[in-house]
Amino acid sequence: MLEVKGLHATVDGKEILKGLDLVVRAGEVHAIMGPNGSGKSTLSHVIAGREGYTASAGTVLFDGRDLLELEPEVRACEGIFLGFQYPVEIPGVSNLTLLKAALNARRKHRGLPEIEATDFLAWVRDRARLVKIDPKMLSRGVNEGFSGGEKKRNEILQMLILEPRLMILDETDSGLDIDALKIVADGINTLRSPERATILVTHYQRLLDYVRPDHVHVLAGGRIVRSGGPELALELEQKGYAWLEAA
Amino acid sequence: MTLAAYAESFEQFAAGLPPGQRAARREQLGRFLDAGFPTPRLEAWHYTDLSALGARRFSPVDPGGTAPAVEWLAETDRLLYLNGRLDRAQSTLPELHADDSSAAAADDSVAALNAAFSSGGLHLRLDRNQRLPRPLHVVAFGDTAAASPGMVHQRHRIELAENAEATVVFQFLGRSAGRLTTQVVEVSLAAGAKLTLYRLQNEHDGATLLTRIDTRLGRDSRLHAVTIDGGGGLVRHDFNMLLAEAGAEVELSGLYRPAPDAHIDNQTRIVHAAPHCRSRERFKGIVDAKARAIFVGKVIVQPGAQKTDSEQHVANLLLSRRAEVNAKPELEIYADDVKCAHGATVGQLDDSALEYLRSRGIAGAEARALLLRAFGAAILNRIAIPELRRSLALQLGLADEEEFEDAAAETLA
Repeated sequence: MLEVKGLHATVDGKEILKGLDLVVRAGEVHAIMGPNGSGKSTLSHVIAGREGYTASAGTVLFDGRDLLELEPEVRACEGIFLGFQYPVEIPGVSNLTLLKAALNARRKHRGLPEIEATDFLAWVRDRARLVKIDPKMLSRGVNEGFSGGEKKRNEILQMLILEPRLMILDETDSGLDIDALKIVADGINTLRSPERATILVTHYQRLLDYVRPDHVHVLAGGRIVRSGGPELALELEQKGYAWLEAA
Repeated sequence: MTLAAYAESFEQFAAGLPPGQRAARREQLGRFLDAGFPTPRLEAWHYTDLSALGARRFSPVDPGGTAPAVEWLAETDRLLYLNGRLDRAQSTLPELHADDSSAAAADDSVAALNAAFSSGGLHLRLDRNQRLPRPLHVVAFGDTAAASPGMVHQRHRIELAENAEATVVFQFLGRSAGRLTTQVVEVSLAAGAKLTLYRLQNEHDGATLLTRIDTRLGRDSRLHAVTIDGGGGLVRHDFNMLLAEAGAEVELSGLYRPAPDAHIDNQTRIVHAAPHCRSRERFKGIVDAKARAIFVGKVIVQPGAQKTDSEQHVANLLLSRRAEVNAKPELEIYADDVKCAHGATVGQLDDSALEYLRSRGIAGAEARALLLRAFGAAILNRIAIPELRRSLALQLGLADEEEFEDAAAETLA
């Protein structure tokens, strides 16, 4: 589904990714771990197409198609979803308005008509229950006055509603208490399917107790320095990252 | 002398006046002719230059004209003015119109011009505890021949006695270019009176509109005013609010989105002359293309006006390099135990919000529209007549999904 080859990327003129390779197949869950500053978030943003994150060399293919030439909104419509580490507050634009616009953008992209308001609301209500978000919160501005945990749950709710094919969660687990972490994990597991793939970008092993990855990669100095199974995450938890950086 | 056309027009106009009124009107005309149109040399007119109007010739408007095919607001009373003349057939409360306009000595030349040529307007007078059962919609419709654009000068008066309550909506709908319209609204609120006043304009982008609202607020009275500018070529609004007695409160909100070449100047002046009064001002502007918008917010706290509680906020979105915004708070505080806050911003749409929306699949243009809608909604939502709010949003290109949101709120509750 996703094929990253020899990716170099710069942010503010500084090279952060230095030849990164990654292959994610449908149905797989990949965890990308690594110390702060290793380029984890940069990778997420380059895939999602965030402005200011420039790929200077290498390729990123999504279903065999060159992802780097697509606008971020087109990538989203093609099925890529990035759960932000720091979700933005948008006062005055309600969650419902955002969700409806996002869902309809996807439908339009696929040549489908707009969704009926009643169908939409039923769908949203159903999904909100999964992440224990009070439906009334959906009428409020996007993340407006939300706590850190509420913002992360809201990201997961958007993901559940939009049903992406490739979910990238950028440190969605950081700063969450254990209850919120379980809710986030439930959301991810709900969407887990043979047609979908997930990339969990995380600093800690904790989330992986609830979402079991197929592959774990360690990112350091802009490259993947080691890949393995779930046991690698446990090893990192015990030993930290220093032993890999030294290697 | 460049004002010759006004002096000539006046002779024609005065001939149609009751003889008893002519002298007073002539006096006002004299004031106008002496002073001429304000130029930027006057501090209060620093940003708006009317001097070009002096050489213009506006024809005195002939009575009549055709009523616009507009869907009127339901559950609302109405006074319809066609080019400054009352259309009795289409007005539901024509008895509220008064021709007389015994104005006090005008303190500025535009007000003098208005007083000299005034064709009258609404005279709403409510007794103690009386309440206007429905909002009153005062529509000024302007449409004159392109070859000889007309001028209309109206004067309205609202006097609410103790604890009286009313909602009055002044709306300008202009269909033709080149016209000059002036409006003066005099408001007097006795103790405990409550007035909701909306001033809305969707004038032709080739028209000039000069308005002024003077309000005196008595003890514990309240004025809630919202002003929305969608159109207009050269527009200037003056708001003069005198919080004359303790406990009075004024809330003034404004939203402007000038046409591509338009000039909209809002000048507000709130005088706290008594203790324990409260004022809230919030203006927002969306300024694009080559438009120019001005907001000057003067707040004067007079000696003895202790416990004054005043806030003023103005936020502008400047969406083009050739557009211009001037936002200027002016506070003069002569009392020591007061709370006065103010803030003025000029900025662009929030890039991080745009990026976030795009990451959810919402294309740039739609994302921008969503953010603009949210920006304007903060003011539009203060209009308590839903039908009106919706039509204004449409007019301003900020139509929201209110219907959907309302349905959603019910379903999800």
